[in-house]
Amino acid sequence: MTPATPIELPDLGSLYRRAALEAARSKLSANGTLKALPKAPVVAAHPGITEDQAEQYRTLFAGEAFDGVYRSSLPSTLIHIAGFPVQMALMSQDDFPLPLLGMVHLSNEVHHHKPIAVGTPLQMLARAQNLAPHRRGTQTELVIEVYPGDAAVDTAGADQLLYSSISTYLGMGTYLFSEDEAASPQREEFVPPQKTGLWTLGADAGRQYAAVSGDYNPIHLTGLTAKLLGQKQAIVHGMYSAARMLEGREPETAGHRWSITFEAPIALPGKVAFAAEHIDEKTQRFVGWNPRKRRRHFTGELVLP
Amino acid sequence: MAETVRDAVIIGGNRIPFARAHGAYAKASNQDMLTSALNGLVARFGLQGQQLGAVAGGAVMKHSKNFNLVRESVLGTPLDPKTPAYDVQMACATGTEAIGSLANKIKLGQIDSAIGGGVDSISDAPIVVTDELRSILMEANRAKTMGQRLKALAKIRPGHLAPQAPDTGEPRTGLSMGEHMAVTAHQWEISRQEQDELAVASHQNLAAAYDEGFFDDLVTPFKGLSRDNNMRADSSIEKLAKLSPVFGRDLGDAATMTAANSTPLTDGASAVLLGSEEWADSHDLPKLANFVDYEQGAVDFVDGAEGLLMAPAYAAARMLKRNGLTFQDFEYFEIHEAFASTVLAQMKAWESEEFCKNKLGLDAPLGSIDRSRLNVTGSSLAAGHPFAATGGRIIAALAKLLHGKPGKLGFISVCAAGGQGITAIIEGR
Repeated sequence: MTPATPIELPDLGSLYRRAALEAARSKLSANGTLKALPKAPVVAAHPGITEDQAEQYRTLFAGEAFDGVYRSSLPSTLIHIAGFPVQMALMSQDDFPLPLLGMVHLSNEVHHHKPIAVGTPLQMLARAQNLAPHRRGTQTELVIEVYPGDAAVDTAGADQLLYSSISTYLGMGTYLFSEDEAASPQREEFVPPQKTGLWTLGADAGRQYAAVSGDYNPIHLTGLTAKLLGQKQAIVHGMYSAARMLEGREPETAGHRWSITFEAPIALPGKVAFAAEHIDEKTQRFVGWNPRKRRRHFTGELVLP
Repeated sequence: MAETVRDAVIIGGNRIPFARAHGAYAKASNQDMLTSALNGLVARFGLQGQQLGAVAGGAVMKHSKNFNLVRESVLGTPLDPKTPAYDVQMACATGTEAIGSLANKIKLGQIDSAIGGGVDSISDAPIVVTDELRSILMEANRAKTMGQRLKALAKIRPGHLAPQAPDTGEPRTGLSMGEHMAVTAHQWEISRQEQDELAVASHQNLAAAYDEGFFDDLVTPFKGLSRDNNMRADSSIEKLAKLSPVFGRDLGDAATMTAANSTPLTDGASAVLLGSEEWADSHDLPKLANFVDYEQGAVDFVDGAEGLLMAPAYAAARMLKRNGLTFQDFEYFEIHEAFASTVLAQMKAWESEEFCKNKLGLDAPLGSIDRSRLNVTGSSLAAGHPFAATGGRIIAALAKLLHGKPGKLGFISVCAAGGQGITAIIEGR
């Protein structure tokens, strides 16, 4: 395995500005030429999630307080937020084959191995894998691995891994493969289940999550900036749905796995009907959909250890 | 009952007529309404200048300035100001919980007399500032210098200024109570027809009771109103059938809940006088019924394991078992009509062999309830439902129904937000 390239923890704002410049300079949807992913992972030290960040996060999702006694294990989505700038740095590298702006988050699979508390120094490693054809462009997987601050990342064993996630992204309109290589989609009829909840998302839901996550991707901020990126309205962050789906359900001792697959984006403002179903003692399945149009926004699963 | 416990006697009740929100009581506060209900009770039973054991009650929607709502109301009545008073809050079960716990104090000999009740106003609901604005104002409040204060206040944005009105959404699901009930009604296959029939019966029973003078000694006028103004004596199945569903609309054709078979938002207040047998006798007061027992219940509704308003189904089973009773032992049933489907779903659950076996752990179903004994003087669909005032309305009316029927029993069920509920038993004397 190629050793990881150490970097400073980047600032998301400057990465987005650079991406916007690049998009303006060259192409947003033109076909790329590079057909391979960067080989070397990147790694950055993270000083630890602060009490303020945890509090902002839990205020947004109306969860129980991180009091350090009954709740100290931070939510998976907050760990993902902390690692996201490193993943973005990798995706902004010149040898990354897909344009950063206009990337669509397709799915996420997370294994939250061990609890991570406020103030724990971490190392965030990001790598890319499995570049593959998609009927609407090219997809790739971005892996985030989180290690303790003092671990030797290149030689660290699986027992040191605190958290790992695989996010699948689509570079929409960037065809690095011939179109017939992509598997044709299987559309199944969606019959909404009995709802157990309703999310009422205001026009500012994207801006609120951006304020907590630092992810100011313009597609989530305003109708105008979203239009520039090809959406009719601002859409909510995929990880917002993941966070809300998981809130109050992740075990304090971690060890759980969860996944989410995104379908129709959630336009803002909007309402999302939500259903949580217990499959067995360890498994819960979730689905979110538009109650008016009966279109599915996401499906998810949580498996306790 | 153990021999050391004495009877808690329901002496009488009083309420003001219930008014549809933003109507007759638009300018009345919770304290105005509760004080008026208490004044009527004091006048009816000659309690002027008397020191009672306790007055308890509450409001579901309460301004922060009303932290001592019941005490402040008591000070506005001719009761002896040495009468202690305190606030209770258990959503729509507030009034029943207040009265039940006062009855327990009387039974134990801690107090000899009490008033329990409740009040709610939608028209004067507490509108608050946004969390963001409150946080900024508090920061400014904590500031030690003018500079710090201005720095804090400079954070205020136009979006922070929108007033926030309370809503009936469950905080943990985001679903309104009506939407929760629509799910339960669908699961129990409660038909539109059944719901409309129950609503019509509620209006007709309430109107008949008013016409017979049943409420003459239970209601005192307020702000020009002498009857509940939601009541429609001419309500009919045909009229109700024309309405479109307002809850569960995503069920399409299977949506059944309309504005007529759901309770309207309402303003109003109620109060019930309780005492020991000796206290009632020594004050030459009537003894309508005994408050026998009550039980709280709660269900796991958040991920839909149970319906939000189904807790009374569970509480009833435990309460009946403890008292060695069955539904066949009761003369009257008062099941609070939060929605017509709430009443029907509870009754279907008690009839269901599967539910009673698997959920209530019973060998046999609790059985069906004779409709001619159900909500015979009308209930919330007709009268309206000022949340915390409903318990007092039900208990006073049921005690009066059972008066003169010694040993006859009345059953009460009240559902509440947060997946909670209360059931109670009273016994005529």
